[in-house]
Amino acid sequence: MRSLVDETHYEVLELGREASGEEVERAYRMAQSTYAPESLATYSLLGEDDAAVLRERLELAYEVLSDPASRQRYDEVLDGHDDGGAAQERSLQLPSLESEPPAPEPLRLRAPAALPIEGFTDEEEPDAPYDGARLRRARLARGVEVDQIAEITKVNPSYLHFIEEERFDDLPASVYVRGFVTAYARCLGLDAALAASSYLERLRQHRSEAEETRSWGRG
Amino acid sequence: MGPVPDGARMIAIGGGKGGVGKTFLAANVAVCIARAGYEVVVVDGDLEGANLHTCLGIPPPPRSLADFVANREEDLVKLLVETREPNLRLIAATHANLASAQPGHFQRVRLVSRLRQLPVDLVLIDLGAGTHPAVMDYFLVSDDGVIVFSPEPTSIENAYAFLRAAFYRRMRLGMMTHSVRALITQAMDQHNERGIRTPADLLREIETLDPGEGVRFVSTVRSFRPRLLVNEVRTAEEIKLGFSVRSVCRSYFGLDAEYLGYVNHDPGVRRSVVARRPLVDVQPDCDASVYLQRVAHKLIQGLGAPGVGPELSG
Repeated sequence: MRSLVDETHYEVLELGREASGEEVERAYRMAQSTYAPESLATYSLLGEDDAAVLRERLELAYEVLSDPASRQRYDEVLDGHDDGGAAQERSLQLPSLESEPPAPEPLRLRAPAALPIEGFTDEEEPDAPYDGARLRRARLARGVEVDQIAEITKVNPSYLHFIEEERFDDLPASVYVRGFVTAYARCLGLDAALAASSYLERLRQHRSEAEETRSWGRG
Repeated sequence: MGPVPDGARMIAIGGGKGGVGKTFLAANVAVCIARAGYEVVVVDGDLEGANLHTCLGIPPPPRSLADFVANREEDLVKLLVETREPNLRLIAATHANLASAQPGHFQRVRLVSRLRQLPVDLVLIDLGAGTHPAVMDYFLVSDDGVIVFSPEPTSIENAYAFLRAAFYRRMRLGMMTHSVRALITQAMDQHNERGIRTPADLLREIETLDPGEGVRFVSTVRSFRPRLLVNEVRTAEEIKLGFSVRSVCRSYFGLDAEYLGYVNHDPGVRRSVVARRPLVDVQPDCDASVYLQRVAHKLIQGLGAPGVGPELSG
């Protein structure tokens, strides 16, 4: 157990050597929030100074790994020198001395969608019908808040909440609901056709039952 | 944590803070595992605040762990109480002696070995709050130690206090030489004279003192795999807290903790507690029940098929 300061950039971001650019991005953002000032995850264990050191270390790792050219040079250093300490020493330097420092890739604020959190997704039957609760579980497992979906899909967040809570009476005509559920599911990388058809079936059933109750009341 | 020894598999559910839902989780996860076909005994380890029986919907049992602690009953089988679930039995913690509830060291050793000898697949212990040596012992001898916390600073603080206590105890037990053990005891005092603040500091000191023990320390760290369970999550952000805590376990302790799962804040939970019935019974389809089943499913991975006994090969 070396301290984080002595680890490779990959180890710092908890990544394998084969990690894609997107995985680097995701790991960096996750680590940033873990070691942010006032973070709940470090509360009472790490002092602000300790966290600041770790944050600097993260920045360095991200700088190197997020740029394909500097990452390749870094990989060469890791591969070429198996002489322990010396390679370690060098690995902490930005290997950009002999060439132009690469312009840092701008951090794209990509949709959080399609970035499922490892481990917790796809634990439910893939072909099972979607209800509001299953949609919510899929959203949470992907680390996405309702407001983020609303921002991407431009669907009013209240409707998204109503969909999850199955407040069918508060939802608009089914043609709109179909559009909302499809957008919601796409945003999370779910089977949008299945989600929309199974959810609409629930909506239809509820509305026809409600209709029946009303006509009974009249009769 | 250690290799799977012969006998029933033991899982401990701890986490330091009272009120984070350990007992609720233990009761419901035990019901789920029993329904998967395994023979389960769930043990109320909280002699100072027994209520696992209540979560399972059983009146306070007349026999309990307190009889073992008071040397009135040596045979744990006689303390088993039937529950509503065919495969699930309980050892309650009711009627403890208020003057001296906690078992002494030798009693704890005896208790653990008797629990392992119970003719079942799995023993699930619900630990009390705090970091009493008895609590830490049960946690450390178990095959799986689950640390429960909720997304609140108070809970996180107690969970880390719990983990620190478990970590240093475990490391001390793993060392061979008296001088290194003494060093770890010193490090357990956060204001120690040597200025050892973190596990990394401690490792440096040990390596200077005795490189062989340093190697042993690292391998002991590697073999310790606590599992993290976040209860009462409300947002996606709070679910991510499990990953963040796992990262901090790695960077601070060098531990490879596992994020076991999460259970959401669900109004059904309170209703089920008031009704004195497991949630998975009352509302099997609510989100919290689905998450509880996932946790149960993960815990029985590697246990072998139900009915053929535990996998003893380790």
